[in-house]
Amino acid sequence: MTERTPQPEQKEPRDAAYWARYAETLKVSGVAEGATNINVEGRRAVGPLQGFGKMWQKTYRVRLGGVAVSPAEVIQTWKDNYKDFWPEGNVFYAPLAGITPGEVALISGSLPGGVKLSTGVMVLYADEESFTLMTPQGHPFSGWITFSSFEEDGATIAQAQVLMRANDPLYEVGLRMGGHKMEDEMWQETLRNLAAHFGAREPVETNLVCVDPKLQWRHYRNVWHNAGIRSALHMVTAPLRWRSARKRR
Amino acid sequence: MPAKYLEAEVRREAGVAVIELRGEIDAFAEEALAAAYEEAEAENPETVLLDFEGVDYINSTGIALIVGLLAKARAAKKRLVACNLSAHYVEIFNITRLSDFMGVYPDRVSALSEASTP
Repeated sequence: MTERTPQPEQKEPRDAAYWARYAETLKVSGVAEGATNINVEGRRAVGPLQGFGKMWQKTYRVRLGGVAVSPAEVIQTWKDNYKDFWPEGNVFYAPLAGITPGEVALISGSLPGGVKLSTGVMVLYADEESFTLMTPQGHPFSGWITFSSFEEDGATIAQAQVLMRANDPLYEVGLRMGGHKMEDEMWQETLRNLAAHFGAREPVETNLVCVDPKLQWRHYRNVWHNAGIRSALHMVTAPLRWRSARKRR
Repeated sequence: MPAKYLEAEVRREAGVAVIELRGEIDAFAEEALAAAYEEAEAENPETVLLDFEGVDYINSTGIALIVGLLAKARAAKKRLVACNLSAHYVEIFNITRLSDFMGVYPDRVSALSEASTP
């Protein structure tokens, strides 16, 4: 009988299940009615280091004062009803599997000047008390948005934190000419809607920090993937596509 | 399971400031990381090495803290590199594309040897 040497147990790190798996490019599992998947499938996910513009850390938080709700309950509610907390005019097509690591959601939004935008996000990380979305190439910014909840001074806090750079020079100009303000208002309204869901009516605190004021000029070519331009071209050329589809029939 | 707060100790080896990390890198690690980075930068090294050997948990807030350090290092024209990441954390650095901007070495010896190459 041979004696077996006990093998050290190969334990997965505790955070392993919370992270998306590595994939070279994004894949959309299903396209909901009304969504457009022209700027997500096949694109790479990009973080705050890959963009062009200044790097910003924007933190929006609301205190759920007087409400008996745990951070885990806040995050579960946020994940389950993510699209309902967004302001009108923006549509979030949640992935079929929900907000779980590696899933990709499509987004229909608008840019300053009323340009319609089709884009998306990948769920980079999700645990019981936080989740993070990562943007694809061509999105107005490259970066992460982390939604979290925690207790502070006897109250539960809900927070959205964006770490971002404008993806290309056009978006950088757009952000400076009203895009930042639009984005701030969007997250402030989202947090107000979330707080209202729990019956809380407290103001949203906003903290904006420029982490790196330098522009990354070597990334100016990101404009090639600009989802705003591609969405506009897609819309303008729609009649041609209809016509050629009719001819084929 | 109780949280293991991050401990960060700064050493100097072959002209490189090495930050030895132990514990968890999450929102609670911000202060310890910032203090260690400040101490590491004090002697104006060309390279700061983050040694992840003792790290057993990183969440997305923790990765954002590392991005913050990277931005600081680049603003000060310093190299920030990493070593002793487990296979899991190498994958996280690839997913988040941190590895596009940070040298990642399998161990401290190779990181120090690379850092001392002009």
